[in-house]
Amino acid sequence: MLLYLIIQYQLLIHTLTFSYDKTSAGTTMVLHGSENVMNTIIQFLSKSNMIDSCGDNKAPKLVIEIEDFRKLLFDLKKSHRKVRYITDITKDNVKYCKQLMNYFDEIRHIDGLRANFSISEKEYLASGSLLQEEVQRQQFRGLVQQIIYSNVKDIVEQQKYIFESFWNKAIPAEQRIKDLEQGIVPGSTAVIQIPSKIQELFIDLVKSAKVEVLLILPTINAFLREERLGVMQSLKELAEAMNVKVRILTPINDIIEEKIHNIYAVNQENMASFSIQPIEITSKEIRVSTVTILVVDREKSLAIEKTDDSKQDFIDAIGLATYSTSTPTVLSYVSIFESLSNQIKLYEQLKIHDKMQVEFINIASHELRTPTQAVLAYSELLQKHPEKREEMIKAIHRNAERLQRLTNDILDVTKIESKTLNLQKEEFNLNDLLSNILEDYKNEIEKNKSNVRLFLKDFINIKRSFLVKADRRRITQLISNLLNNAIKFTEGKGGDVYVTVEGKREADGDSDNDKEVVVSIKDTGTGIDPEIYPRLFTKFATKSETGTGLGLFICKSIIEAHGGKIWAQNNKDDKGATFAFSLPLSSNKEQRFQIRRLAP
Amino acid sequence: MINNQKKNNRILLVDNEIDISSAFKIGLEDNGFEVDAFDKPDAALSYFNQGMYDLLLLDIKMPKMNGIEFYKRMKEIDEKVKVCFITASEIHYFEEIAKEIFPILGVRRLIRKPIKIQDLVKTVKAELLD
Repeated sequence: MLLYLIIQYQLLIHTLTFSYDKTSAGTTMVLHGSENVMNTIIQFLSKSNMIDSCGDNKAPKLVIEIEDFRKLLFDLKKSHRKVRYITDITKDNVKYCKQLMNYFDEIRHIDGLRANFSISEKEYLASGSLLQEEVQRQQFRGLVQQIIYSNVKDIVEQQKYIFESFWNKAIPAEQRIKDLEQGIVPGSTAVIQIPSKIQELFIDLVKSAKVEVLLILPTINAFLREERLGVMQSLKELAEAMNVKVRILTPINDIIEEKIHNIYAVNQENMASFSIQPIEITSKEIRVSTVTILVVDREKSLAIEKTDDSKQDFIDAIGLATYSTSTPTVLSYVSIFESLSNQIKLYEQLKIHDKMQVEFINIASHELRTPTQAVLAYSELLQKHPEKREEMIKAIHRNAERLQRLTNDILDVTKIESKTLNLQKEEFNLNDLLSNILEDYKNEIEKNKSNVRLFLKDFINIKRSFLVKADRRRITQLISNLLNNAIKFTEGKGGDVYVTVEGKREADGDSDNDKEVVVSIKDTGTGIDPEIYPRLFTKFATKSETGTGLGLFICKSIIEAHGGKIWAQNNKDDKGATFAFSLPLSSNKEQRFQIRRLAP
Repeated sequence: MINNQKKNNRILLVDNEIDISSAFKIGLEDNGFEVDAFDKPDAALSYFNQGMYDLLLLDIKMPKMNGIEFYKRMKEIDEKVKVCFITASEIHYFEEIAKEIFPILGVRRLIRKPIKIQDLVKTVKAELLD
């Protein structure tokens, strides 16, 4: 703004009307008139080797576009005067600022700067506001109506101090221009110390949200205060009506839990974008500070410090707040929110994991002790009851086998988790193996007079050969486990178990040959418990009173170790479930050969 | 289910593990008790009447109805009937039950599996004598 200040001075001299204060130390004047202003400015420039100047965001455009200013710019450049210039660089004036950089030694930026003054070694000039009609006409004459001039040492020194304060706070124009060109607009950060203003800003910010609100409430009382303030209601309305994503982290107790329940209860289907993550107050792992953090649309943040959490009223409870529109600052708060949110999730997972471990110990201990009890009791009774010898030995054998299965399962899980589950792979026809297993099961079912019927579906496929390279023992274990489950959950009311086997080509269909074989075991039993379904193939997932919940975890590990997949779903007719697994087939050449050889 | 009508140290045994309920029944009968054994709590419940038994020997972890729930229902029918619970689960699994519910229900004995028949008999006798 140096240049138009200079012109102001010229105007001032021309008008002949001025205020005048001359002291022995120098002169301070308010001058009017464009001609004299210009002359004074020229004199100001001619006497100065170093010039410091501030201008508002309109100044750069005027300096470049108004001819009289441009001339002065050329003169400055030619005479090698050192000029430092501060302005408010915006996306509207950035092209003029770039041009100014060719004339001035250094330009810096301050957000929203409104100062218009210049200082040389011994003189000070300050302009009033510009006449808008002259600005639009890009005319210098009449642009500035008045100007203040001073060469009083104290005034010049004071203004130098003000300029230096601005200069030190300002950022280089190059950085500001780069940020603007990259779409980064560093905002400002301000500390607000008046609680009523903080409250007003807090409410306004919440209501201004368009996309997302992140809110960390550090205490139970903070939740209650914010609720009384209407913040919860506003957030709820934003989520319901405008689909604003609202995420809140808050400690909970019974009261808060009920309030959360009420928030969700009213209009649950429209509250999909509203989520509250509870922080366990007793958790030593998760600590929140006493600061309420609000982030709106990832553009604005407000961190409110509390001075007295016991107070019911928002204004009484808070101290100061930091409001920011600065991208790095706002993103730091987003990062704090996300870190805390993830920490809560991890803590919850850890708790579930711990609970599952305890549950497993209970299940495993029950499963170990039950057959052990039977073995122990029958061994004791055997001597006293020789007439029941055969029956008791069978019971001992049955329970010893149960112990063996459990031991194997636990050992398998240990191997899987330590990644030492070694496969003894060999090539074999999966259909041969499947037929043998099914035959054994059919015999067993018949022997036990079970009310379950076992069927092989799709006879043609059963006659085909599906060569796989796999660990025969492990695949037997897998199929047996799935069949055991199907029978176990069908046996109660009786029903059917169907086994199908089929070849699958690749999804892109570029080959005539099957790439994998899929075995499905469908039952008409009780189906998969919805509570268990999401963690069906994880460890310890069981709703059964007998079973460790390890079987399907082992199945999944076995099939994945072979490069296959396993999946399950409840049948669409609501009767029972279907479990299926896929295994990659051996080379297709051999498959074709086998098919020809076996075809009738 | 084996039915006994005589009222002399009669025990109702409920355990969903048939091998265990059968073995316990034989072992207890060898020692002079009269035992009705069930592997399904609901079947036992429908059979039960006031004054039929001196002692209930109940497994805790059972499908559909656990032993605690079963006992509460039994007490509604026969307030004086004595009980011993028996479990194969880890003891801490039932710590809360043992601490909070057992005193309310008046339960004094929790038997842990595996147990030798002779020790089971001793515990049952002690409970009946108390």
